[in-house]
Amino acid sequence: MRPFTLNYTLPKGLPTVVMPYRFDTSRQLNVLPNGRPAVSDRDLLLAAGTTTSTAGSQTHFDD
Amino acid sequence: MTVLILTSEEDVTADMVVSRLHETGIPVMRLDPADLPGKAVLSAEYAHGDFDGHLSVNGHVLSMRGLRSVWVRRPGEPAAHAAHPSPWLTAETGQALFGTLHSASTRWMNHPRNAEQARLKPWQLRVAHLSGFAVPPTVFTTAPRVAQQFTEEHRSVVVKSASGPPRDDPALALPTTLIGPDTDFSAVAAGPALLQRYIPKRADIRLTCVGDRLFAARKTAEPGQVDGRYGDTEHTWEAVPAPERIGKSVHEYVALAGLAYAAFDFAEDEDGIWWFLECNQGGQFGFVELETGQPISEAVARWLSPRKTDRRVTGSHW
Repeated sequence: MRPFTLNYTLPKGLPTVVMPYRFDTSRQLNVLPNGRPAVSDRDLLLAAGTTTSTAGSQTHFDD
Repeated sequence: MTVLILTSEEDVTADMVVSRLHETGIPVMRLDPADLPGKAVLSAEYAHGDFDGHLSVNGHVLSMRGLRSVWVRRPGEPAAHAAHPSPWLTAETGQALFGTLHSASTRWMNHPRNAEQARLKPWQLRVAHLSGFAVPPTVFTTAPRVAQQFTEEHRSVVVKSASGPPRDDPALALPTTLIGPDTDFSAVAAGPALLQRYIPKRADIRLTCVGDRLFAARKTAEPGQVDGRYGDTEHTWEAVPAPERIGKSVHEYVALAGLAYAAFDFAEDEDGIWWFLECNQGGQFGFVELETGQPISEAVARWLSPRKTDRRVTGSHW
């Protein structure tokens, strides 16, 4: 029998957009193609949703 | 002396703190335990009554004697990226890494021992009550009859997960959901259900506590909205002052739990009461800082920065 709580799961759209930043091993943070830190682009981070309370919920339940 | 941040490379919220530490010239090492062994290397030797050794990754080296503080942010499972991962390798690697770090003279945000306890949702409710918060009636049960009775008593009840959505299926979300007494509760026998009296709310509150600093943010809820994490609305997070009584309770809670960082979720009802829903010891703060401008990453960086070391680990007082 399926556990009761799992009756309330919903399909979640998986992100299809590739983030326009990459991890810079020297600076130890993610950078944009122009070399600026990704955190300098507030609008990008808000649009990407990678700082929201559901980001990473699959691997960490500390939302 | 170096700040050690345990997190994944894609964690841009951690970037916010790394950037602050760079600005102040404080050395930092960012390491994902998933990269050990492999990209990351650990050596620690017990001699003369203490551990001495180093961690290295991506050309950065940290001496155990030069450890300033540890921020356990979003670490992967030890050895998850190894060439041949296994539960045994994860256990061995976890012993080596965390066993050594626990032996170091350093401060933790948050200490793993306290973090593990703080994740337990039933425990959170008890500590919240002791701290003076308003806590909605809640039941955890595997008995369908108890679930039925609880729902008949409170009429309007939500079901939510204690541990988050299933981790083996990233395509699934598990939002808090409103249910009624006509629900079929037979499947409660197949897994613990967390049921809580629904609090009709006019706003969601996220209060982030960093050391003794509090950052409260409020987001107006849509009428009938249950889980503010899902579904877009026209409302955004706005900084608000934390009521004095709430501030006292927050400080009491983190003292009881032994936490240096905590993110509290409240539901603000029509009378303005903040009902405790949960406390996430590693909760996200990036979205709050981006929307409100509250300097949370700066507060985290400041907390991690002092050189003072103390072998005594702040424990849970519960």
